[in-house]
Amino acid sequence: MASETGGLLSFDGSLPFLVTASHELKAPLALIRQLSLALGSELSDAERERIVSQITLTSERALRLTTDLSRSTRLEDSLFDLEPLNPRQICEEAVHELAPLYKARGREIRVASGHRPILAVANRDLLRRIVLNFGDNALHYTDGSAPVEFRVNTYGGDSVRLGVRDYGPAVPIDVWQRLSSQLGSGAQALHARPQSSGLGLYIAGQFARAMNGRIGATRHRDGATFYVDVMASKQLSLL
Amino acid sequence: MTKTPYVLIVEDDEWLAEQYERTLSQAGIRSEMVPHALAAIDAVDAKLPDALVLDLLLTGPNAFALLHELHSHADLASIPVILCTASADQLADEDVKAYGVHQILDKTTMTPGDLVAAIKKVLP
Repeated sequence: MASETGGLLSFDGSLPFLVTASHELKAPLALIRQLSLALGSELSDAERERIVSQITLTSERALRLTTDLSRSTRLEDSLFDLEPLNPRQICEEAVHELAPLYKARGREIRVASGHRPILAVANRDLLRRIVLNFGDNALHYTDGSAPVEFRVNTYGGDSVRLGVRDYGPAVPIDVWQRLSSQLGSGAQALHARPQSSGLGLYIAGQFARAMNGRIGATRHRDGATFYVDVMASKQLSLL
Repeated sequence: MTKTPYVLIVEDDEWLAEQYERTLSQAGIRSEMVPHALAAIDAVDAKLPDALVLDLLLTGPNAFALLHELHSHADLASIPVILCTASADQLADEDVKAYGVHQILDKTTMTPGDLVAAIKKVLP
């Protein structure tokens, strides 16, 4: 549960919010700095071009996190329009946005083929940000043996589940239990998946709750699936 | 004939690892990079490095798990380690000295020259 203390948000049982946020922003900023310093050394044109592209993609990733952060602090003041929307289209937009980053990292991302999905009732921007967050997270834990996949399914009859499956090292069970209990309720970094954004997952949980949805995760032997469940549209049943 | 020094880079951000490799290569130091502790054990088994550049928070077992493993083998315990971390402000040299860590470099302030200097200091 989030509480407000002295103007700074903090989360029960976790680090103060700003400490966690600043820690998670350090990684991309440190990388951008190191890559910028590399530009001062002797490089071929191809190497220089590659490093500039890495700087651009890393800064875009950091900006996604800062944008989500500022958006999450305004959640309680705002009402978000919920509308029936095609969840597969949201996933396709996220794949389109993340594809350059994945390609630069030698990884692949795609939307799994499947049946035409039932419409979801959600806020387009928040849902897009959640799946982008999961996609960012998956990038670092997939070993390239298989593409990261966005999957859309009907869940429990009245929900739509948008999941992002990665193929990375298995998370030890004790860490997984800690992660499961933290999903949506804390902002701690996950030490067995250090680049996975505990903060990003917290924000995704906030966004999901603002749409009456929830996030969760499933552990696999060869990776994990992070998902968001949102309401399914009933509009077809009215016809 | 002088032996070319060989450094193993254990860093799960491949772009950062590439940057370390490029920096060391420009200084005439050969290196290889691996993304996590388990791959590091395999790499050390295959070829004993003269030094290790090690990230603290790795995917899967972290740096301390790897250091424990290395220290449980007499022939591996003496490999000098340079720890590169964005959490350097939370670590003291004394905390990690026992693990063979010769220097902690702060990823947020270090320069390519710092890495080369740290490695050269520990090379035989």
